Amino acid sequence: MAKTPAKKTTAAKKISKPVAPETHETPVAVTGSQTFKQTRAQPEGIPLIEMKEISIAFGGIKAVDHASINLFPGEVVGLLGHNGAGKSTLIKVLSGAYKRDAGSIHVEGKEVTINNPRDAKGHGIETIYQTLALADNVDAAANLYLGRELKTKMGTLDDVAMEAECRKVMHRLNPNFRRFKEPVMKLSGGQRQSVAIARAIHFNARILIMDEPTAALGPQETAQVGELIKQLKAEGIGIFLISHDLHDVFDLADRLVVMKNGKVVGTASTKDVDHDEVLGMIIAGKCPPGAIPGPGAMRN
Amino acid sequence: MTNTTSTSQGPALEQEGPIKKFFRATEIDTRILGMVVALILVWCIFDIWSGIIRPNEGLFGGSFLTPRNLWTLLVQTSSIAVMSTGMVLLIVLRQIDLSVGSMLSLVAVATGVLQVYQLGPSLGVGHPAIWVLGVVMCLAIGTIIGAFNGFLTAYAKIPAFIVTLGGLIAYSGVAFLLAKGETVAPMDQNFSVFGGGVERSWLGPFWSWIVAFIACAAIIYAIVNGRRQRQRFGFPLRPVWAEVFLASVGSIVMLGTTLVMNSYAWPPKLIENFAKANSIVIPAGIENKDGKAICMAAENVVRCTEGFILYTGYSLPALIAIGVCLVMTFVATRTSFGRYVYATGGNPEAAELAGINTKWLTVKVFALMGFLVGVSSIISSARLNAATNALGQTNELYVIAATVIGGTSLAGGVGTIYGAMIGALMMQSIISGMSLLNLAAAYQNMVVGGVLVLAVYLDQLYRRNVK
Amino acid sequence: MKKTIIAMMAAGLALGAASMPVMAAGKTIAVSWKTFQEERWKTDAAAIKAVVEAAGDKYIDSDAQGSAQKQAADIEGLIAQKPDVIMVVAFDSDAILPSIKAISDAGIKSIAYDVQFEDPNALYITFDNVGVGRIIAQEVSKLKPEGNYAFIKGDKGDPNATFLFQGMMEVLKAGIDGGKIKNVCETFTDGWKPDNAQKNMEQCLTSTSNKVDAVLSENDGMASGVVAALTAQGMAGIPVGGQDGDLAAINRVAMGTQTVSVWKNSVDLGKTAAAAAIALADGTAMDKIAGVAKFNGGKNKVEMNSILLAPTPITIANIGVAIDAGHITKDQACAGVKAGTVEACK
Repeated sequence: MAKTPAKKTTAAKKISKPVAPETHETPVAVTGSQTFKQTRAQPEGIPLIEMKEISIAFGGIKAVDHASINLFPGEVVGLLGHNGAGKSTLIKVLSGAYKRDAGSIHVEGKEVTINNPRDAKGHGIETIYQTLALADNVDAAANLYLGRELKTKMGTLDDVAMEAECRKVMHRLNPNFRRFKEPVMKLSGGQRQSVAIARAIHFNARILIMDEPTAALGPQETAQVGELIKQLKAEGIGIFLISHDLHDVFDLADRLVVMKNGKVVGTASTKDVDHDEVLGMIIAGKCPPGAIPGPGAMRN
Repeated sequence: MTNTTSTSQGPALEQEGPIKKFFRATEIDTRILGMVVALILVWCIFDIWSGIIRPNEGLFGGSFLTPRNLWTLLVQTSSIAVMSTGMVLLIVLRQIDLSVGSMLSLVAVATGVLQVYQLGPSLGVGHPAIWVLGVVMCLAIGTIIGAFNGFLTAYAKIPAFIVTLGGLIAYSGVAFLLAKGETVAPMDQNFSVFGGGVERSWLGPFWSWIVAFIACAAIIYAIVNGRRQRQRFGFPLRPVWAEVFLASVGSIVMLGTTLVMNSYAWPPKLIENFAKANSIVIPAGIENKDGKAICMAAENVVRCTEGFILYTGYSLPALIAIGVCLVMTFVATRTSFGRYVYATGGNPEAAELAGINTKWLTVKVFALMGFLVGVSSIISSARLNAATNALGQTNELYVIAATVIGGTSLAGGVGTIYGAMIGALMMQSIISGMSLLNLAAAYQNMVVGGVLVLAVYLDQLYRRNVK
Repeated sequence: MKKTIIAMMAAGLALGAASMPVMAAGKTIAVSWKTFQEERWKTDAAAIKAVVEAAGDKYIDSDAQGSAQKQAADIEGLIAQKPDVIMVVAFDSDAILPSIKAISDAGIKSIAYDVQFEDPNALYITFDNVGVGRIIAQEVSKLKPEGNYAFIKGDKGDPNATFLFQGMMEVLKAGIDGGKIKNVCETFTDGWKPDNAQKNMEQCLTSTSNKVDAVLSENDGMASGVVAALTAQGMAGIPVGGQDGDLAAINRVAMGTQTVSVWKNSVDLGKTAAAAAIALADGTAMDKIAGVAKFNGGKNKVEMNSILLAPTPITIANIGVAIDAGHITKDQACAGVKAGTVEACK
């Protein structure tokens, strides 16, 4: 519905909203001085996603303050930080749920405009929210296709086709799932989670954002999600993984970014740092030698 | 994940009894079934009770279960029923419109003034353009006011309750000023066809049967097509007996309703006029034959019209209400618009994150509500053959009550169009029935209020039980 | 009682014609209106002003805009202008009493216009509301002295609904007791609403199998619902009574679907009140004014001098009265009327 007008407005905003002036210390300068670490810390080539100097404030409080992160194809980047560190907010800017105050977003090197969730989906960015963001009163297929329903030739909803596709994708994720006719509020936590994941991966996502994907799951289901992440990674999808759980991040992520008070403390390859160092980054903002310090790093 | 699904699905199927199995196979909404049973019960009680007071030809000797009363009941319900279908979508969307009654008066008065004071004198009374413009104006004004309500709610972020409470007060003021407190009448003679009070707004048995057969064909087609679709994808199918059962129930209801509508004879005077106008000679010497419905004493002469009788069939307002019910059910269940309304009502944030423009959606649903108010104002003003600022007042309460009695949850996300239609029918049945018993409006209000609360209570019990 | 009404009607007409001899000019007549929001008060105002100015007196007024507080302030302002008489259309008949006392204290005469307030020093001028029900019943029973009668009453919470019904019953009692008239349906109508009246009438026709010979509706709006219900049964044309002088109702009278609409002609009321005010200003004692009688039918049974005007029944025979008074145009009254059937439409 009303897709074309939405695109028009985004184009208009692009002109009126220039990229933030680079008056601050740029991460390029920081990383530039430590090129030897950069090669170690992140893959080469054009990043799939690059968020530069993103800032967003809510009523005067800077939730995200000049944060820059990037993501390469087939890579899993863990985003770590306390509650309120700004990681969820930063990621919601990418998924279009929040509008940034300043900064730019680049997909495969090209600057893009993301003002709402539709824009983000248009660039292949899919999100699994911590709250799952499911419409609880409709069934799995309706949630899977919410906002991009399959239509018959007459222009009506093709519920049967949607259910068929839903059965396929759910079979891959959760072979025992059979409750296709029930509203998702009646499903278990794990089943709901798999519906949310199905929705994110079904539309050929290139970039996947997972906000605490295992928070509500038991160990067996958590392992299943881990398997899925490895599988998606192998398909060349880039994944941002937001988690409280250090074990998860070390198990699944290639790199990790730590945020504190809305700023990036540092970026590191998971191979170059250990648990205690990362905890130090999260709690004290202390950047260990294996990591590239960001603007939020504690100055010695 | 594996454990939960297998325990809740597998063994349960084998354990269920025949009744449970029946409802699962036919996918009948037991809640709606309960309402229908209650409705029929209410009808029977009224028929018996009115029969005790004054015996008549009803099924149980009263006045309620007669073709005439059921026919009138449908006409009386149509205006509220049409509006309640829109209210379902609004309440599902977690919004509300308290201004529908005042909107109805405003729209009705506006079209009345247009027809009686403007177009009537300038085009000449009865000009065909009058009713066309009258109808277009009702629909347009309704839609615009509705969209305005929606705009204030969605974009100016004023709660719908406040916006439409303001509208409730303000629109009736506009209606009063437009009509200068007067009753504007009579409406254009072609326009009044929409009210069901004149011969031309009766479909007649032939076309009523055609409508019924088309409806039956549509029901059967829908069931067969649904089955074929599911076959195409190899989905589990309903048992054949369940499909046949559903098709027969749908067809029987449709044909039965048509039969009732088709057995309501024209009022004797109108038959007489028709006979006179068409030079139909009514045979002499039948004055003492069965004269209960077709003979009438007037001015000391018994005039009998036996041997020549005309039946009304569906009236236009009833047909419009049924049509609106079908179209709105289609909109709610078969279009992405309807899907978005339900999804947004279930979880507004999730809908927004899924890329649905929920603000624009809100405006559209309010505008649709306004459009339906326009339809209702056509029916109401045509039926009364007059427009006044009193027309439609307090209708918002009946519309919301019908919607809620019909199972729409004020928490949003849940509600059906046909439920609201049954709710409206239930409420009007109580009002009409008590009116037949000559019980004062105060008692009618007490009972309707009680039914509303009871319906919501039973609904909650039901939902808790299901969980 | 009937005689007094006729007497009053005669007095009203005499005064209405403003044929009273003018005794002295240069007096001031003030009016405090409760609101001009409703169209009708402007008609009253024009009628009063015309009579007052024709007599060479001065007319001043104020509009309380539907507020009791503003009306109290308005009256203070009027008193300050030292008029001879103040007419008051009270917004709140209790809250107004201190202001009326202030008027008396200033030595000014007061008139309660259309709305009663119970102050023994004031002259109360209004239509005989109880009489309306009687007139409706009289006109209908003239056409249908016996048969099945249906009564569509107003809102249960409105005392007027009961008064009107009492008036009807006074007329019909003999017929009902003698078995000539049968009360087959009698319903209150929620909110005086025409659509509710229509539903009630439909149910009445259903329950009696159309055996209804006359309908007494307590106002014209509800009569429109009654006529719509009768039309659907091909019964339009049986006697139907109503009141208010609604434009649509007068049109129905011309078309023959309504028998009578009892009309309270506010021009008459205005003219009568203006003439009485001039008389008071000229020093005529209150109980010496033509048509004045004692009235104590108010809430607190306070005895007051009053002029009760008889309302005008508009039937097919005298539609011209309403047209001549400018209450309705000939086009409006005669819209859709078959040519040659109604005298006034020729």
